[in-house]
Amino acid sequence: MPDYDAIVVGAGNAGSAAAITMASKGLSVLLVDRSDPPGAKNLSGGVLWGNDLAQILPKWQNEAPLERFIQDKKIGFLTDKSSIIIDFKTKIFEDNKVGHTVLRSKFDPWLAKKAKEAGAVVIPGITVESLAKKDGKIIGVEESGDVITADVVILAEGINPRLSIEAGLREPLQDWEVSVGVKEIIKLSPQKIEDRFNLTPNSGMASEYIMGNLEELNVGAFFYTNKDSISLGIVAPMEQLRENGITHTYDIIEQFKEHPSIAPLIEGGTVAEYGAHMIPEGGLGMVPKLYGDGYMIVGDAAGFGFSNGLVLQGMNYAFLSGILAGETAAEAKGRNNFSSDSLALYRQKLEKTYVLKDLKTFKDIRKVTGNRSMYTTYPKMLESILLEMLWERGQPKKKIREILGSCAADLNVGKLKTATDFYYMYRRM
Amino acid sequence: MLKIAVMIKQVPDSQDISIDPVTKTLNRSMARNVVNPPDVNATEAAVQLKDRYGGEITVITMGPPMADSALLQLMGMGADNGVLVTDRVFAGADTWPTAFTLASVADYLGGFDVILCGEETTDSSTGHVGPGIAEFMGYEQATYVHKVEYENGFFVVVRDIEGAEETIKIGKPAVITITLNANDPRNPTLKRKIAAYKKGVKLVTNKELQLDPACIGLKGSPTIVKDMKTVPDPVKNPSKPGIEELDKIVSVLIERGIVK
Amino acid sequence: MDIKERLGKTKYDVDKSYAHITVDESICEKCPHHFCVMACPAQCYTIQDGKLNFQYEDCVECGTCSIACDQGSVKWTFPKAGKGVIYKYG
Repeated sequence: MPDYDAIVVGAGNAGSAAAITMASKGLSVLLVDRSDPPGAKNLSGGVLWGNDLAQILPKWQNEAPLERFIQDKKIGFLTDKSSIIIDFKTKIFEDNKVGHTVLRSKFDPWLAKKAKEAGAVVIPGITVESLAKKDGKIIGVEESGDVITADVVILAEGINPRLSIEAGLREPLQDWEVSVGVKEIIKLSPQKIEDRFNLTPNSGMASEYIMGNLEELNVGAFFYTNKDSISLGIVAPMEQLRENGITHTYDIIEQFKEHPSIAPLIEGGTVAEYGAHMIPEGGLGMVPKLYGDGYMIVGDAAGFGFSNGLVLQGMNYAFLSGILAGETAAEAKGRNNFSSDSLALYRQKLEKTYVLKDLKTFKDIRKVTGNRSMYTTYPKMLESILLEMLWERGQPKKKIREILGSCAADLNVGKLKTATDFYYMYRRM
Repeated sequence: MLKIAVMIKQVPDSQDISIDPVTKTLNRSMARNVVNPPDVNATEAAVQLKDRYGGEITVITMGPPMADSALLQLMGMGADNGVLVTDRVFAGADTWPTAFTLASVADYLGGFDVILCGEETTDSSTGHVGPGIAEFMGYEQATYVHKVEYENGFFVVVRDIEGAEETIKIGKPAVITITLNANDPRNPTLKRKIAAYKKGVKLVTNKELQLDPACIGLKGSPTIVKDMKTVPDPVKNPSKPGIEELDKIVSVLIERGIVK
Repeated sequence: MDIKERLGKTKYDVDKSYAHITVDESICEKCPHHFCVMACPAQCYTIQDGKLNFQYEDCVECGTCSIACDQGSVKWTFPKAGKGVIYKYG
């Protein structure tokens, strides 16, 4: 008789969602996290889309420690001196209030508490050392020489899936599978935030940028408003960083903060925290075998995340994969069968949802996000076009077609190259 | 077999406390609660005593209901039982009623061969409570100890005294206060933490203790905080070393004939 | 703002008795790129007097170096018992 029906390793969004799902279905659940309290090791850009969370915690919008709901979403392109921004502000966001900025060190302890309330045993401050195996089956976890057993272990260990790798459940991560996220929290009074970004006491703004001001690096950046702070940071693909080889990750975020369109937004603010976290960006190609005898893999550890250079999501994939793994475990318990065949249901469930659908639909997205022109050339082209159109310099005006031609020539971009780039962007995004 | 108690306190992590530049009061709003650091050393000392001489360890704290997490952590290190002394009437206690209440709990639990405490707490730094418990219980005591041995019914302890060490032998029962960094505390283990979680902690209120309300909590506290001032950091402000204040105190003490 | 000053804003409970990451100096000596120095967001890897210098105390446990090092020098794991970085915001 195992000690528990299920052990969940990692009390992030995926792990706690799995624990809540299983405990509310009557399973005995042990949720272990290496941080005390849970969440103190976790870091996200900070926008949480909570559609899936509502499945297990219908009152999350009232109960969870949320910062601001996203009312205003911006997509921006930066060049050395300019910023080109699409500002999408909609009543639809305000009516639904599904997207919120969060701070994980506040949000995650709340979610773990919900797992405890649902009946899970939550043990913080313990780093699980390895997975216990018997006859090729995962039978539990090991720590300080003790083995704690369960019918199924749910691996929600995050972007550093050390246990999975050591147990041979997945390959070590490669450059192309991850980006390095570097983040700062800048303290700013609610009054300043609301005045500066035209917000009300509960509404917030989330911006994502393409940093076209960096030479030879495809880096994205983000800027989100919290109650009394700003979350900002950069996301740099490991492949790009290695190829470049001369740029410190900690300097890129400074370049973002010092950009002429960003610096005034954080003026008067003070840095309250600096941190970093890797982001899964390998898409379908990095997803390991998601289940086997006695185990399932969820969240970042499974490579679930979405990024197309303009949109960056992970927490929603974490919730949904955690919930589906939890449901699968409950059904496996009903059949009293935790074999690989029985847990294959988890993958089938994922196939039916946006988690695996998105990863399949956008399986070639890295060819867009990895395209240097998208980051360095096209923002500059846009800038040139807008300068031609919007800046009166006492020169004869040109037709758009001529502007395009001359800009492309200035930037040394072939028309065919531009046309194929846009064609592929169109196909892959 | 030694019957061992460890008296511990949950305190705000000193790293998380800042001084509000406007109100000059301590800002604890962002503070995480931790076990008072020397209390962890005291628990380690207890576990070492148990390992060598056999025994049973009870960790005891007085605090709000959420302080049970501190007890569970120390039970994860190897303590056998946790006792949470919690009651609204105990709130607001200074060191006198705290020592009185904890001594009453120790008595209620049948007394101990040895009671270990941290040398002082990081949130008030008085070092009163350990000696206070010893006085209320009528136990022998040794303070600022970094090494404890148990031989033929006596505790041989090594005390830190300014710039030197002192080895003394005290009888049983005793209260021993343990210094910060006296030892290298072991980590809690998963198995022990789970066992602690299953066992839970024993709650003790004033229903069980029946202490006179005038002697406990805020009512039983003789300390009155008249004023609080922030002193400029002497390192950053070498021109204001705070010596003047000290001189004033000394001259008042001389004036009143308290010191000569 | 200097990276050391920024790291000073982040809270840690450093485990003085256990380094969760170690490097093999003999491998680092022969490394052709020292990409870890560029990749690590917490400046744990620096070049001093032509040699790689590593300290784990400022580590934010992101795991970047475990991938950045393709020479097999970095032995990477998590700190124990909740020690290491403690995000207050995250």
